[in-house]
Amino acid sequence: MKSVNASRKSRSGLRLPRSRREFLDWMTYVSLGFVTVLLTVPFFAIIFDMVVKGLAGLTPTLITESIRNLGREGGIRNAIVGSIELVAIASAVALPVSIGAAVYTTEYSRQGRLQQIVELSADILAGVPSIVFGAFGYVFFVWLLKPWTGGATLLSGALTLSLMMIPTVLRTSQESLRAVPITLREASLAVGATRWSTTWRVTLRACFPAIVTGILLAIARIAGETAPLIWTTGYNSDAPWSIFDAVASLPFTIYTFAMSPDPVVNAKAYSTSIVLILMVLSVDVMANWASRRVGILVRKG
Amino acid sequence: MLIREPGAPNWVTRPWYDRLFGATARDLLGRSLLLLFSIVTSLVIVGILVLLLVEALPAFVTLGSGIFGPIWNPNQNQFGIAVFIAGTLWVSSFAILLAVPLGVGGALFLSEYCPSRLRLPLRMIMELMAAIPSIVYGLWALKTLVPALRSAFQPLIGYYSGFGVLAGAIILAVMLLPTIVAVSEDAMRMVPDTLREASYALGASRSETARRVVLSGALPGIGAAVLLSLGRAIGETMAVLMVTGNSLVFPVSIFDQTYVMTSALANQLGYALADPLYRSALFSVALVLLLISVMFTLLAKVTIRWGMRRQGLRR
Repeated sequence: MKSVNASRKSRSGLRLPRSRREFLDWMTYVSLGFVTVLLTVPFFAIIFDMVVKGLAGLTPTLITESIRNLGREGGIRNAIVGSIELVAIASAVALPVSIGAAVYTTEYSRQGRLQQIVELSADILAGVPSIVFGAFGYVFFVWLLKPWTGGATLLSGALTLSLMMIPTVLRTSQESLRAVPITLREASLAVGATRWSTTWRVTLRACFPAIVTGILLAIARIAGETAPLIWTTGYNSDAPWSIFDAVASLPFTIYTFAMSPDPVVNAKAYSTSIVLILMVLSVDVMANWASRRVGILVRKG
Repeated sequence: MLIREPGAPNWVTRPWYDRLFGATARDLLGRSLLLLFSIVTSLVIVGILVLLLVEALPAFVTLGSGIFGPIWNPNQNQFGIAVFIAGTLWVSSFAILLAVPLGVGGALFLSEYCPSRLRLPLRMIMELMAAIPSIVYGLWALKTLVPALRSAFQPLIGYYSGFGVLAGAIILAVMLLPTIVAVSEDAMRMVPDTLREASYALGASRSETARRVVLSGALPGIGAAVLLSLGRAIGETMAVLMVTGNSLVFPVSIFDQTYVMTSALANQLGYALADPLYRSALFSVALVLLLISVMFTLLAKVTIRWGMRRQGLRR
């Protein structure tokens, strides 16, 4: 291996090319490197834009006050609280169902029809466009279930989001459950534990950080979703008091701020974006941390 | 079952749920609950499909093949969704044309050329790009990209607002790139090192190895990446909605404004309730979107299976 690496190294580098083939080799290296640098440009452009245009608006009142006068005054407290509540309720609904399904398909059911159906439907669900979830939520939760959800409310929006969480949580939980060595289960079953206690006290405990990683990734994904919420949550200029209240969310607030003809409100869209990005990234960082914990657990054995 | 001190009463060591049901009953009860959850998760997609079918049916029955007509004018009861389908096809195909060569090139650099010192930060940037919500991309595109395009092309082609297919395709490509890079790089790193070594041993240069060996070895993975990102491109809503101009014309050039399927749903769904035909026509747009995305997911799965079979043969 070492010698191969060494010979590879001698081929690279910015030595002057001596033949047509070497020149082509060199050109490929340079142009691919250029492409890669080009790919990162939008990222820096966006972050630069956000910071330049949004940092000035990032005052304490932005977070402590709710929206007033169509965004010209006040802050975005209603949207921050609304987003957190939406995500919390969506998680409360989606997590038990999808982790339960993952446990059933990996720990209980035999390799077979049901497992295939669950996995295939989760994979298909993961590819469904978010606006289709929005359209479904609009018909199903907002109109068909209106007597129970109260129409376009926090509950309807959260239930719509919970459908989007299912595939991510289900698939990552399945993968982490499968990574738990079979010997752990066998040891537990051998000392007389039932399959139920083995699952809850041994298997799930062993892969807990991995499952948390999947959950956090799903949360980070739905926290930034706008399309499913456009027609399902209604609008509220205050933080909702019950699940049957309309609710504002951060992504949709950014949308309304961005489309406003007023430049003052437009600037607020950038500040709101900073808040949203910080929230999503902090969840992502937590997910990274949790997935590193898995590594530690596995190495300790 | 826990080990008890001899003489200690049962309830000291047995948890309450054991006392309530007995271990076997509890196992059975829990098991059936989990089975129920599994069935519920697989019914979600069926439920969405059935409800959209039911909602879209009136439009198909009333309009027949007219639903795929070219004119969308709800005020005069003209509901042809072809204009949206054309818009989506234009924007997505240009986005893919932009994103795939760049993304695969970037992945090739990351997996074959990149010094490891640079690899980590580049991958981290890609991960961060994937984490940025689409509404933020939309905001940036609306306020920075569109004016930039306007000032770049207005002198060349006459009046140009900046909104349209080009802006939509660019921002879509930016959003697809992290996925394409990550998935194709994974596929390239799965190509066994022995193949590279064999190629070097035959005297191939580094770029020849990268092109002929690594790229062709990773072809199924790259195919899956393209299919997955095509599905995402067609389903992307907010960023495209904000920059395509949303005008109901068939686009003929990349500078034309257009109206994509997802934007139609996002803009009009709430106003269509009073008119059953209008609403049904919109749901047929949603149904078409759903069917396209299901098709791409299945195609990607088939491609991945093909790749695994290919690798299995090789090893």
